[in-house]
Amino acid sequence: MSEGEAVGAARHPARPAAGRFAAALPALGVVLIWFFLLLFLVYPLVRIFYDAFSDEAGRFTVANFVEFARDPFYLRSLVNSILLGLGTVAATSVLGFAIAFLLVRCDFAGRNLFSYLTLIPIISPPLVGVLGFTFILGRAGTVNVLLEDYFGLTKPVNFVYGLHGVLLVETLHLFPMITLNVVDALAKIDPSLEEAAEGVGARGWTKFRTITLPLTTPGYLAGALLVFIWTFSDFATPLVLGVHDLLASQAYLNIVQFVDRRLFRMGIVISALMVVLAVVFLIAARQYVAIKDYSSLSYSRIARVRLSPVQQAGVIAFLSGVMLLSFIPYLGVALASVGKGWSLTPFPVHYTLQYFERVIVETPKYIVNSFLYAALAVVLCVAVGVPIAWILARTHLPGRGTLDALNTLILAIPGTAIGIAYVRAFHFDLPGFDRGLTSFWIILPLVLAIRRLPYTVRGSYASLLLVHRSMEEAAASVGARGLRSFSDVTLPLIWRGVLVGSLFSFMTSLQEASAVLFLSLGGWETITVGIFSFYIAGSANEAAALGVILIVVATVSLVAINRIAGTRMGGMFG
Amino acid sequence: MRRLGILAFAMLLTLGAAGGAVAQAPIEGELALITPVSKFIHDAALKAFAEYAKEKWGVTLKVSAIPAGTPVAYGRIVEWKGKPEVDIFWGGESALFEKLTEQNLLQKVEISKEAWDSIPAAIGKPKPIPLKDKRGFWVGTALEPYGLVYHPKKIQRLGIPAPKEWDDLLHPKLKGEVAQCAPTRSSSSNATYEVILSMYGEEQGWAWLKKLAANTGHFTARSRDVPTVVAKGEYSAGFAVPSYMAFEEKLAGFDIKFVAPKNAFVTPEPMAILAGARNPRAARAFIEFLLTERGQRVFMERGLFPITPKYRVQGAPGSTAELAVEFTGGVRSYFDAEVSNVYDEGVAAKRSDDLKKKYRSDIEATWKKP
Repeated sequence: MSEGEAVGAARHPARPAAGRFAAALPALGVVLIWFFLLLFLVYPLVRIFYDAFSDEAGRFTVANFVEFARDPFYLRSLVNSILLGLGTVAATSVLGFAIAFLLVRCDFAGRNLFSYLTLIPIISPPLVGVLGFTFILGRAGTVNVLLEDYFGLTKPVNFVYGLHGVLLVETLHLFPMITLNVVDALAKIDPSLEEAAEGVGARGWTKFRTITLPLTTPGYLAGALLVFIWTFSDFATPLVLGVHDLLASQAYLNIVQFVDRRLFRMGIVISALMVVLAVVFLIAARQYVAIKDYSSLSYSRIARVRLSPVQQAGVIAFLSGVMLLSFIPYLGVALASVGKGWSLTPFPVHYTLQYFERVIVETPKYIVNSFLYAALAVVLCVAVGVPIAWILARTHLPGRGTLDALNTLILAIPGTAIGIAYVRAFHFDLPGFDRGLTSFWIILPLVLAIRRLPYTVRGSYASLLLVHRSMEEAAASVGARGLRSFSDVTLPLIWRGVLVGSLFSFMTSLQEASAVLFLSLGGWETITVGIFSFYIAGSANEAAALGVILIVVATVSLVAINRIAGTRMGGMFG
Repeated sequence: MRRLGILAFAMLLTLGAAGGAVAQAPIEGELALITPVSKFIHDAALKAFAEYAKEKWGVTLKVSAIPAGTPVAYGRIVEWKGKPEVDIFWGGESALFEKLTEQNLLQKVEISKEAWDSIPAAIGKPKPIPLKDKRGFWVGTALEPYGLVYHPKKIQRLGIPAPKEWDDLLHPKLKGEVAQCAPTRSSSSNATYEVILSMYGEEQGWAWLKKLAANTGHFTARSRDVPTVVAKGEYSAGFAVPSYMAFEEKLAGFDIKFVAPKNAFVTPEPMAILAGARNPRAARAFIEFLLTERGQRVFMERGLFPITPKYRVQGAPGSTAELAVEFTGGVRSYFDAEVSNVYDEGVAAKRSDDLKKKYRSDIEATWKKP
């Protein structure tokens, strides 16, 4: 050890310039990170608030908000949005909690299979997921056709068109977010706590209420917040289902119609309002309990209750029922991607591969672009996110709290809002060019990187906490300092966490639609933009074929993540 | 000396020819559009033009399109402030082209006189629909009626006669069975609302439109979704649907019917070159190409009609052109018979804002799903 120090000491005077440079490097890195966040996160958000609080001439005004408050239709949209968000949280909570409890605490045939299957609904691609629902549950969907043809129903049952349909679709799509987080939290509860509870006579409901529930609350709340914000900002689902009186729908519809400048501004105002509301909910949730719960990172050995055959049958029937429902979109999308002229029959009558041919052979750019942007976004995420995690976990730099808050804020910003913010913020001509950043495709990986940054930060942060400081201290004692110790000691130990975070960022970047939709120009289309433009062009079949491709890619990523991360996936969402 | 002179002359000729070829470098290597005209049509038109450019000038053309609803396309062009990301704006109502002209965001199309003159100035009575801009800033490319669509099997199940006129959509049995797009989002819907208001007068017109809303089960996000939900059988009938969109569903294998009722608006699908376009020569050549027989055939095989009396939709028995004729009710050219039109450009432009406002307050805000 002393030898190591001697060598280190001997080296430094020999290359003073390099030494000074190495010492300046971390500082430079910190500056760059702040610059990145200020430019690509804070500035665009400031810009939409500026837009929301100014008129066409750029003067300050609150007239836009007054107009919002006076318009009964907008107010109805606001109320509906909040109700829908809360309703979805309630529905996903019941479903998600029940499933998580069964998976963690009970033992039954097929438990492992079900814990895999529970993840599947999350990868439902935007837009086509809901289309899949309409193919099966729509007025002319499989179920209604069967009811009409074989059970003499004369009018189709309206399963999906309306607010109740949005609730159904969002619930079946998002309940795994709750399940994953609760599974994660349940797995961390030390069994001795519950044993202690039982020791003092608390059983059943009392034990659940006093021990289990409080301990799973942080993880659960993180999931619930994500469910709320997702539902709150999703415009594709309600639009396909003909529901326009929601904030997200109104923001989208008002902004995509540029002709009426007043409506356009209202769209921006609504986006700004959505950011505010999302942040309010975020703060409220944090107020209740610190959302990030990394305190116990060790997973406890769990004693599972072995169920009787009858109970097992019940559990399996329940889980199969839920899975069956949440597989509806996949069935619908798969059928639509190969079915031709499918109308008023339970299943397509004619089958073809022409849609796959078209999207793979004629328009491979969708797939190429998606992979390129998602990969670049991940590189950016790692370049910015890992150092942020390191700053949060290992340093006492000023501004850490802000850094952490910004990182959490990203999770709360609706995709539509950030897309609009970028359009407004980066249209000015870049110095040396006669066009703005919005004219260069690099803006897409940039917006994706910002959107997905929290996953990388969270994944890396959690891993960093697991790497005991003594390891780095040992490295330091043999002369490896700063960056050197980071690259030689810390990085090899946390790569797994970084990789999981990156893969997750990659998968979700591929699926991002709302933020990129407004920014995409001809030739830049990703798979999700392709899904939208095929759908807009009336080719639901091609959209479905692209959707199937996206599902396959996402499934592969998910399996990879699961292999690497084990049960720790839940931490990603918190 | 003389031989030398001849040689010099020959050399000059060659040089001249070469120089001429350079000066005339026919078109740029790229062409981009922004258009509400759906992929079905714009992809085919761009592809046909790329092939033509390859044959004629040996140019490998890179074509692209931003598909966008009329209001979006218009808005983006305004946002680009004379530094457009594309060369051509195609489709939508001609009133918007006038507005763009006023903002100096268009340049004159300046195509060959022959191509320009092949298009009549206007069509329709009592109100004429202009097919090209008097000042030369836009030109029509194809004729396209906005009609109604229905699902024959669904109509049969409801036990009502197949709809033929606008009024047929108000049949009580169609309650909750009609799909339409808001006029705030779709130019075909906007134009057809305008037709109804012109036919019945302001007051009765709105009463009519409210009755239609009461029969409407679904307001789609875009006009293109209307024929989609009807073709699938989700709804029985659709209002204000461009002919080619319905025909696209037919070609995709669906059983859907299209009717252009009396006074259905016929749009010339205007096309204009944006001021500041990066590829003006390619843009000009594209327009000229679309007006040739080969270009018009792209439209005629897809449920649209020629913009000039020179051509008629015709093909071998069983061809898509013949299928299109049958699908759109036997029409081969809109110049064969008188087109009845009540849509007045001036009135429509003046009423446009009020129409949207009234739609928002009287229909969108009060509509309840039946």
